[in-house]
Amino acid sequence: MQWLQSRVQRELAGQIEASRGRLYRLAFAWCHDTTLADDLAQETLSRGLARLEQLREPERLMSWLFAILNRCWIDHLRRRHEEVDDEVLAEMPSDLPGPEGYAERQEAVIRVRTAIAALPLGQRQVVTLVDLEEFSYAEVADIMAIPIGTVMSRLCRAREALRGLLKPAAAEPRLRSVK
Amino acid sequence: MNDARKNFSDESLNAFVDNQLGAQEREEILAAIAEDADLSRRLCALRSTKELVRHAYGQVPAVGSTRDRRLPLWSGALAAGVALVAGVLIGWQGHRAADTSASKSLLAWAGSFFAAQPTRVLLHLDSSQAEHMEEALDMVEAYLAKAGHARVEVVVNNSGLDLLRQETTPHAARIAALAARHEMLAFVACGNAIARYRSAGLDVTLVPEAKVERTAIEHIVDRVRQGWTYLKI
Repeated sequence: MQWLQSRVQRELAGQIEASRGRLYRLAFAWCHDTTLADDLAQETLSRGLARLEQLREPERLMSWLFAILNRCWIDHLRRRHEEVDDEVLAEMPSDLPGPEGYAERQEAVIRVRTAIAALPLGQRQVVTLVDLEEFSYAEVADIMAIPIGTVMSRLCRAREALRGLLKPAAAEPRLRSVK
Repeated sequence: MNDARKNFSDESLNAFVDNQLGAQEREEILAAIAEDADLSRRLCALRSTKELVRHAYGQVPAVGSTRDRRLPLWSGALAAGVALVAGVLIGWQGHRAADTSASKSLLAWAGSFFAAQPTRVLLHLDSSQAEHMEEALDMVEAYLAKAGHARVEVVVNNSGLDLLRQETTPHAARIAALAARHEMLAFVACGNAIARYRSAGLDVTLVPEAKVERTAIEHIVDRVRQGWTYLKI
């Protein structure tokens, strides 16, 4: 039994290692800062490996790992903003500079990233967890430790806001097709 | 019927687009789409927003671009280590306050790493990129210069093995010098990685300072359990 357990843990440790790219991408979508995203991914890997024994259901490894990423991110924000509660953090307006100046100059990509960077934090997290990582609403609720109803309402608001922010872009092709 | 149409909330439509609805509600929406142009327009807008988000992060700036920015910063970390050894009383806080141009998050990270002064540190390298190899050795040197009695292990797997292969390493002399100077420093190669190299027809002769563990991952898990501080390069 003991050897089986440690074999499972080794397997899980390998999977955690392999998730670095996904953690980095999502962290980047949250903070739009490559250095910080890399640090958050690193911190998540370290914490995940150190706490592997606390993982009760191995099949939920990914949502467990992204919950750790969420914790690392919140901790980072706490350090920056000192004492604030989770609700305030979630509604915190974006003070991100926006992803200008990155390698990809592709205009549409930059425009969407800028729009996402402008979303309040809680909405930004929910929409990227659902769209990039394809977690179910229940998993996102779990990862962020919020009720599922909150996941849904944040997602609605996020998509509505994105639609508003990206409207000029969306209107353009329609005008062209009219011509 | 208009009233029936308005029954679909934004939540439901989002859930439809994300494939999060039960079979029945899903069927209801599917049935309504054909007769409700407004509904189909709303769904279309949601779907395209979702696609835009996905597309925007299909390719994110590589960690590599982060590393490139990091390299010169390491010289800052090194300088700080040397300065401390030389007895100059510059704390990390002071260093961080002084260096406002550098990346705040990196300094916070390096600062917290150095400040906590763990006595057992595991550095994991899984890449043969020249700057990563150098970063690993810079890190070892900077840390041991500051915490001379710490135990430090450099664990390599995948192409990181090249750091310890005599056939490939550009750092044999540096590794030998570091190991000679620091008794508690160890270089560990992954047995799996060696086997993979050999089965691909490559020669693997390790530098004399290296020892071999069965797999890097097992070794890392064991060390982390024993309370070592783990850091991936």
